[in-house]
Amino acid sequence: MLIFRAEEHIDRWCETRNIKRGAALTPQQGWQLACGWYKDKLKPEWRRHTLEEVEALLASVGLTGPFWNLRD
Amino acid sequence: MTQPADATDAFARDVRLYVFGEAANTGRVPQPPEIAAAMGRSQAEVEQAVRQLAAGRVMILAPNDGNIWAANPFCAVPSPFRVEARGKTYWGICIWDALGIAAALGTDAVIQTACGDCSEPMLLEIAAGKLKRSEGIIHFAVPAHHWWDNIGFT
Repeated sequence: MLIFRAEEHIDRWCETRNIKRGAALTPQQGWQLACGWYKDKLKPEWRRHTLEEVEALLASVGLTGPFWNLRD
Repeated sequence: MTQPADATDAFARDVRLYVFGEAANTGRVPQPPEIAAAMGRSQAEVEQAVRQLAAGRVMILAPNDGNIWAANPFCAVPSPFRVEARGKTYWGICIWDALGIAAALGTDAVIQTACGDCSEPMLLEIAAGKLKRSEGIIHFAVPAHHWWDNIGFT
């Protein structure tokens, strides 16, 4: 996951590498996602998130639709 | 001698706590020889535990030598995602992990990075649990279902 100065920089990066454009997030969405994903990582009782927990986290950050689908 | 699964799991947990504790406290991700010395166990035992943790997606191994590449969010090697926090320097393997370092540490942080396209410097700042300063747009190139197909690229 990279960060870019503006939308056209994403387009140029994808074009140069012949990569299909993915999904763009605001830094605020990225921060919320990082908090939900990592806030417990240092705790002894940490465990991997369940599929349902990840789905709920993505949805809470507004990341829905086929790109964010975790199931087959 | 093969250990029972419970003992293996318990040791892997201890290795996890040591690795992440060291990464958080020092900014450095320890590697198997150092972990083995610190925990008084053989390097082979530690390497097995590290492989177990990697298989469980708790950390990521370097492709060729079995060293820890990232005890994510903490990257073992310098990267374009530098995080200054607690008076120390940390590295993330991507912008998500750079933000994740601040989230995991629960502390203020400054992220120094660069545009993936033009390499212009970019700065994000976390203060009091909030994103105080930011710029730009984050791009996920890989759909969520395929993140772990090639986590290095993701």
